[in-house]
Amino acid sequence: MKDDVIVCRCEEVTLGEIKEAIEAGARTVTDVKRRTRAGMGLCQGKSCEIIVQRQLCKQLNLSSEEAHPARDRAPVRPISFGVLGDEYND
Amino acid sequence: MIKYDAVIVGGGVIGSCISYYLTEAGLKVALVEKGDIASGTTSSCDGNILISDKKPGFDTDLAAVSQNLFEELDQKLDYEYDYTKKGSLYLIESQEEWSVAEQFVKEQTANGYAMRMLDYDQVHRDEPLLADDIIGGIEIETDAAVYPMAFTYSLIDKACKNGLKLYNYNSVEDIILDTKGQIESVLLSGGEKIRTTNVINAAGVWAPEIGQMVDLDIPIQPRQGQILVAERTRQVGKRKIVEFGYMMAKFGSKNYKRDIHPILEKYGIAFVFEPTAADNFLIGSSRQFVNFDNRISIEVMKGLAARAIRFFPSMKDINVIRAYAGLRPYVNDHFPIVSAVENVPGFYIAAGHEGDGIGLAPITGKLVEHLIIGNDINIPLDLDFAVQKLSFNRFF
Repeated sequence: MKDDVIVCRCEEVTLGEIKEAIEAGARTVTDVKRRTRAGMGLCQGKSCEIIVQRQLCKQLNLSSEEAHPARDRAPVRPISFGVLGDEYND
Repeated sequence: MIKYDAVIVGGGVIGSCISYYLTEAGLKVALVEKGDIASGTTSSCDGNILISDKKPGFDTDLAAVSQNLFEELDQKLDYEYDYTKKGSLYLIESQEEWSVAEQFVKEQTANGYAMRMLDYDQVHRDEPLLADDIIGGIEIETDAAVYPMAFTYSLIDKACKNGLKLYNYNSVEDIILDTKGQIESVLLSGGEKIRTTNVINAAGVWAPEIGQMVDLDIPIQPRQGQILVAERTRQVGKRKIVEFGYMMAKFGSKNYKRDIHPILEKYGIAFVFEPTAADNFLIGSSRQFVNFDNRISIEVMKGLAARAIRFFPSMKDINVIRAYAGLRPYVNDHFPIVSAVENVPGFYIAAGHEGDGIGLAPITGKLVEHLIIGNDINIPLDLDFAVQKLSFNRFF
């Protein structure tokens, strides 16, 4: 895969930028996210996470669990402020 | 074996900013961070550089000096971090808030700070999507923001160019003193020993743990906060927008009560809207003491969303794509500890900035430079007063 391939489509982050972030010290999917915004967009990493994880494993010789420790994440799908805030909106 | 002039513990915005100023001053510095740079509190904040939420007097003066230092940093750092200066707006809900706000603005403008009251027409012309019943606002010109993680990487990037030795994914196992009780070295979890005469504890909410290694009780507690991330959308508000009641929530003012749902009171929820450089926005804020629990909770999320709709009803149709929580390093008098420690020569504390870490990072870096090198750092503050005000001694 070429370095100019866009890995995170929501935030338009390329493979080259992900490689650079790993070189600069990122070791997990979340580290890469903080450094590049990959995974911060609308789909919240549903598309790019696996590619970032694979790149981390390859570049740093990590297991997939090391590259992507499980994290709490909510909401699972986008939810409107209206629906979320309904109960306490008085 | 290399000997460093200083070892900084903690690679959040505070430690990173200190590493920048110390290496600029020519010191040989190492920084130890247990994870990646900017992976703790710095990664779960909203990147504010404010004077608007400070009390008149020293609190504001300190923040304003720091705010000005961002201008200088902007010229010197290489890595882009979305520094924006759009100012901020505080929303006033009641006549009672209006009188308090008026008094506040009067005092701040008398001290030379750029703030003004906006009446009903002005505030609604400025922010057309506001709820109809908001009676006015305060506009603060100088408030700014950065993308906090990029700002921190930028500081580290420059410090590394200045010769900083970075130990990320390394934690401090112990701090070793010599026979005279002075700092001798720092022992890392991997077994490596770094020789130094100065240690700066910039570990934020984890600073007490580092303090224990030299038998110090550092009075910092984690105060959790949660933030909602909205999808990329049309412009809702032009700048940072906060409810005036936020300041009351922050300082826990006793003689003031907002008319809100008890759940919002329970979680210390106050409306904070932060447009980002990525064309979406963040919604805060909440305040809770729950030890080191940094999980988000559905109840707080509901409360944040409810409070957001109260001020911007049209947000109803916008999606929340993410929520996150972080731990503010809270000190009971709301001032950070930026201090030498009398009993442990060579040990410094630079932690406890609660929600002001980004904004106060530059002045903290400068003050640590002053404490360690003893030089004149050329800032418009009464240095002796500031050092006393932020000293570790003040708790004893």
